[in-house]
Amino acid sequence: MPKHFHEIRDPIHVFIRLDTDERSVLDSRPFQRLRYVHQLALTYLVYPGATHRRFEHSLGVMELAGRVFDIVTARDNVDSAMRDLLPTDDALRYWRRVLRMAALCHDIGHLPFSHAGEELLPEGWTHERLTSENIRSDEMQNIWTALSPPLRADDIVKLAVGPKVLRSVSFSDWETVLAEIIVGNAFGVDRMDYLLRDSYHAGVMYGRFDHFRLIDTLRILPPGEDGDRTPMLGIEQGGLQSAEALLLARYFMFAQLYFHPVRRIYDIHLRDYLRAWLHAGQYSINLTDHLSLTDNDVLFAIQRAARDSALPEHDPARRIVERDHFRLLYERNPIDIRTNIDAARAVYKAACDTFPESLVRYDSVVQRNVPIDFPVLTSDGRIVSSLDLSDTLNNVPVAKADYVFIAPEHRDTAKRWLETNRDTIIAPKEEVE
Amino acid sequence: MERLQRVAVIVSLVEKLNSKGSWSGETHVQKTMYFLQELLRVSLEYDFILYKHGPYSFDLSDDITAMRADTLLKLDPQPPYGPRIVLGEESEQVKRRFPKTIAQYNAETSFVAERLGPMRVVELERVATALYVTRELGESADCESRARRVRELKPHISLEQACDALRQVDTFIEGARTLHAAHQNVSAHA
Repeated sequence: MPKHFHEIRDPIHVFIRLDTDERSVLDSRPFQRLRYVHQLALTYLVYPGATHRRFEHSLGVMELAGRVFDIVTARDNVDSAMRDLLPTDDALRYWRRVLRMAALCHDIGHLPFSHAGEELLPEGWTHERLTSENIRSDEMQNIWTALSPPLRADDIVKLAVGPKVLRSVSFSDWETVLAEIIVGNAFGVDRMDYLLRDSYHAGVMYGRFDHFRLIDTLRILPPGEDGDRTPMLGIEQGGLQSAEALLLARYFMFAQLYFHPVRRIYDIHLRDYLRAWLHAGQYSINLTDHLSLTDNDVLFAIQRAARDSALPEHDPARRIVERDHFRLLYERNPIDIRTNIDAARAVYKAACDTFPESLVRYDSVVQRNVPIDFPVLTSDGRIVSSLDLSDTLNNVPVAKADYVFIAPEHRDTAKRWLETNRDTIIAPKEEVE
Repeated sequence: MERLQRVAVIVSLVEKLNSKGSWSGETHVQKTMYFLQELLRVSLEYDFILYKHGPYSFDLSDDITAMRADTLLKLDPQPPYGPRIVLGEESEQVKRRFPKTIAQYNAETSFVAERLGPMRVVELERVATALYVTRELGESADCESRARRVRELKPHISLEQACDALRQVDTFIEGARTLHAAHQNVSAHA
């Protein structure tokens, strides 16, 4: 029986097309919940347009995953050394469906406000683990088994979270490449979509790049180092500039948006709030609890706590609602780094010795997984490292931010204290035994 | 071990790899750090999993990236083999600040840099997977069963290559024991 196709309007990809099977996932409770989870937590308090949710991002990731799959498995695009990697036609169709379902579900384990409160999960738990549990849940299992042909939940989990998370599970080369299409460091469509979407909604242009050209030039290639033959996603040489643009976009988005100091301090206040509000200061890992908690529930509770000074979570709630967040006292800078690479931490420790510790916060964050070395298929058929062809890639910086924040009532005093004592505070200390 | 002490060990190791003429790509740093932790018992606290080229730590990869942000390390393109990791301008700062940590693990970092530094990526994959399997099955497991396990995990490694790698690892284990005994003698006389 032919499947019906559905189209959803989307500001980034114009139309997102999905079939009836995929629609059944979209209609499920775990997926619909993503309508109420902000993609960028409280970033909308700094960039008012950034109110988009995990729901539309997940649809976008599915759309891009399908496009990449079709490009990299097209017969004319498969490198001769990689021909054996591709399964037979039936299996290829199966894996295309698995890939799109995995893309659709890759974020269903996200907590309220996405990453902001993730450290409040019990030891050993992450949103990816909750995603895996959700995909294997009875509710979703009923969907997988009702499909024709049925899909294996374990296959969907593998591609949705990848080998980096499923550390004890072995992946075939084919599965590794498919997981890379979604969560890969270099060309994962999760990244492509969030850069384009976050940029669009926040109203900053830094995250834009020519993803059409980039996707058209993606290929499954062996890395060009030392004769090794492990397959991975690479590009044809003609896509090199669009790959450069992607990696630069990522750097700029981290430096300008994701690591914005006010956004970071709101994350900290939100975590302080959640720690005081959640039972035992932790998120529940029970799936029923997980599915019933969204940003809406937390925002409602924050508003209430902001009005009730008797509640233990009152202070961080009030700071969020009244925009009375801690202010930036110190941030990492190249001059101080030359004296002490840990200057920010030194300022934090000294500030805690001088001002009430509960009114000082330290934040250190670095851009992770900065892949600039990937295989490129040259116009004369060689496979070489991207770094051999691109001066730009050799010089893409790594975004890093270190901040010390202080309560607004101490800001002026603290600024004067820091100006007076700066050199002493950041002077490196000798190593002790 | 504290974060900056771990950074000092990485700086010291990269310096030795560079000075031994090693290609010093990320795979070299990953595998030498794996041997430092798992064979020579340097308490680096990285979680290594079996990945594309054998044991790999995503946390270590993140630390290398962070060290690039701090200009402690930098990438040096080496066509046609991809980039070497070399010391960045602030690496001297770490060497000045952590002389004790660097001295404490000097013998261990030299041990792995000398043995693994000259290897190619494919050789590193074999010996690191061989050590992974030896730790999984135990040192008393015979070479044949360990080689079979290496082949299960990495089918593209031939039986002969697996056996060669396991023999090398056995030699490294002996060397590590000798080094450990020498350390204990020094401690006893101190």
